Amino acid sequence: MKTLIIENIDLKKIGELVTVSKQFCDAPDIIALGEGDIPGSFGKAWQFGQAVPANLVSTVSNIIKQENYEVILMSVSTLGSGLAGPLSAALAAPAVTEVTAIHPDLVVDRPVYGGKAIIQHKIESTPTILTIRRKYFEPAQLDGTTAATALDAVEDKVTLVAETHEQTDGIPLEDANVIVSGGRGIGDPENFSMLQEMAHQLNGAVGASRGAVDEGWASPTKQIGQTGKIVAPSVYFAVGISGASQHLAGIANSKCVVAINKDEDANIFNRARFGVVCDYKKIVPILTQAIMEGK
Amino acid sequence: MHIAVLAKVVPDYEVPAMDFELSNNRAHERFSRMLGLYDENAIETGIQLKAKTSSSLTIISYGTDGDVQFLRKGVAMGADKLILVKGTSDDPSVIAQNLKLAVEELGDVDLILAGQQSADMDRGIVPGILAQMLGATFIPQVGYIESKDDLWNVNQITSTGKRELEFKGLGVLSITSIPENVPRIPAVRAIFAAKKKPVVKLDGVDQGKMALQEISVEIPKSESVCEFINADDPNEAVKTLLNRLTEERFI
Repeated sequence: MKTLIIENIDLKKIGELVTVSKQFCDAPDIIALGEGDIPGSFGKAWQFGQAVPANLVSTVSNIIKQENYEVILMSVSTLGSGLAGPLSAALAAPAVTEVTAIHPDLVVDRPVYGGKAIIQHKIESTPTILTIRRKYFEPAQLDGTTAATALDAVEDKVTLVAETHEQTDGIPLEDANVIVSGGRGIGDPENFSMLQEMAHQLNGAVGASRGAVDEGWASPTKQIGQTGKIVAPSVYFAVGISGASQHLAGIANSKCVVAINKDEDANIFNRARFGVVCDYKKIVPILTQAIMEGK
Repeated sequence: MHIAVLAKVVPDYEVPAMDFELSNNRAHERFSRMLGLYDENAIETGIQLKAKTSSSLTIISYGTDGDVQFLRKGVAMGADKLILVKGTSDDPSVIAQNLKLAVEELGDVDLILAGQQSADMDRGIVPGILAQMLGATFIPQVGYIESKDDLWNVNQITSTGKRELEFKGLGVLSITSIPENVPRIPAVRAIFAAKKKPVVKLDGVDQGKMALQEISVEIPKSESVCEFINADDPNEAVKTLLNRLTEERFI
């Protein structure tokens, strides 16, 4: 099936979508957003510079129509979410968002009810638009680069006034092998520094639940869960996190979850491999010290 | 100015996975019903914007008569009225068409807010479809909104930080949660007053379904068995935990 990837220039995101595309075709085409070379080998390639998705809908839907693409793949992100709905309506195309598995004959899985159930759909017509949840597919290795035709957005609906990227000290959450994550149970923004120190000693990153972000203790870019970042580290320390299904949806592919929680009935223990029922303030400093000494 | 907020009544989204069950491929009807969590963030954002811009605020929903009692919470939070388009479809395209009927019925809407995703279908797609149907601008994951002369100035939360964006004309914005839009808890007096606020009901349409067939809905089995580490002596607990993590080669 003729497949088109639409994605920002990002090795891992494009890599994951190339892996997904193998279920539909040998060589997908791509519309890439951003500056620089497009990594990987594609049939046809187009490129927008820095662009706001709302301005791309008509250009992109015209390309899809002209080239008769059957499957359109994007990651779940502000780009994928910004384009999936408008493209679906513009092309009268079925769209399935947050896809976590793909089966033969255009059958796809996606979570519902905050990740508590999985719905399976068969897509009955093309073109179809799929957004793919991060970390559910191994990124393909991308060799070489592909020369692209430069495109301009036809519409000028939205103006980008400014873009700010948060400085992250150390490893980005999505790449970290160890994540130390705090929830509402942390109780105090100052105490997040305790988690920071532990993560630092483990060469890992700090994450947060939606509860902690809503309290203003951690920035929204640290949020892990269904509507935050999806992560898949070797070890995920859930500290003072109750384990709502919406949070667990973000750590489904973590290898080992360690839960530290005062409440022995907290749902997180149903997902954890190891559990410590204890006030985190007692155990985290000792854990940090022991890791430091063990190095 | 007139702001519309799209809100959906859903089964209790805090039911833990182990208690969750299905009937007829949907959440069991025994679960209590409530406004979706991001929908409440959108209502809160709308109410703050209403105060700043002296606007009127209407809550729009697609659902059943039974949903009205739960939608009234949004009215008690500060909306002026409620418009319900009646129907039961879960198809995002059908839902968007019905919401469009309500927007057209109102006639003078300047801005439409919605939750980032519903608390039952987890899709985040209906607002984008509706925007395209209305010829409006769609921006997902918006935190702050300001009205600046004839422009809307918004902050979009991205995975690495934020984008400040401006646009003119009708926009559909899906709202994410930020500390500033944690929903207010309505006062008892407001809850009583909300019962007297107008509710307009429209008959929905059931057409334009997406070419998708629903094959199954299943609850995945949780296979994790937790090994509890005795924490009577925190030093011992730490030692055991680190040993176990090393033995199993996790670190």
